[in-house]
Amino acid sequence: MVSPKHRSGSKRKVFVKTPGGKTTTHYRKRKPSSAKCGSCGAVLKGVPRELPSKMKNLPKTAKRPQRPFGGVLCTKCMRSKFKTVARAK
Amino acid sequence: MFEIGRLCMKLAGRDAGKKCVVVDVLDDNYVLIDGQTRRKKCNLKHLEPLNIVLKLDKNASNKVVIDALKEENIDCLEKKEKEKKAVTTRPKKQKVVKNKGPKTKKADKKSKAKYSKTAKSTTVDKPATDAKKPEVKKVEAKKPEVEKVEVKKPEVEKIEAKKPEVEKVEAKK
Repeated sequence: MVSPKHRSGSKRKVFVKTPGGKTTTHYRKRKPSSAKCGSCGAVLKGVPRELPSKMKNLPKTAKRPQRPFGGVLCTKCMRSKFKTVARAK
Repeated sequence: MFEIGRLCMKLAGRDAGKKCVVVDVLDDNYVLIDGQTRRKKCNLKHLEPLNIVLKLDKNASNKVVIDALKEENIDCLEKKEKEKKAVTTRPKKQKVVKNKGPKTKKADKKSKAKYSKTAKSTTVDKPATDAKKPEVKKVEAKKPEVEKVEVKKPEVEKIEAKKPEVEKVEAKK
């Protein structure tokens, strides 16, 4: 039986071959899901899927694209937003 | 629609949401822009034209564009002109080439044999006369010949030893 501390859906099993020839299971944390656009829900590009403890140590430019609404809106939604702003004036 | 002096808003890239002026028309699809954005060529698909048209000459410099935009109450960052550095060439280092002489395989073997045998032999004074050196070379030339003859004999003995073993295996079958 699996030990009580490992009985969780938030852990994934990894099968590891030992030098002695046996295969044992190791338990690892799951990565969070990928970031989505705030308006249309499409998967965003340029945002890595990492645990918060690792995202903290990444440099600012590695976490989101360098453009307005980078990491928040997809490119389609951003362009349509600026079009409405330009046409309103 | 995109004539020289037309005010536009850029839609894509790092400069998205900023206002710019068309400075030059390059192609059916490309245009030179300047203003709040960087001075570069841009695709017409990434620009949204506005109602205002300014009076500008073709290929107007950055300062002229910024002064024209100030009248429309659009603030821009002033860009510094880069000073062109004079191209200076460092003097090349001249390589010092040591004259070793022509390289041959025989010369290398003799030099290696010298170092191995002088270590075992008694101490030889460094300022040796020319009469001593040729004597040392003659002794070394003889010894490798002797070694080659000795190597052949053990090979013959090994082949003879293998044959009786093969006969025994056949008898067991």
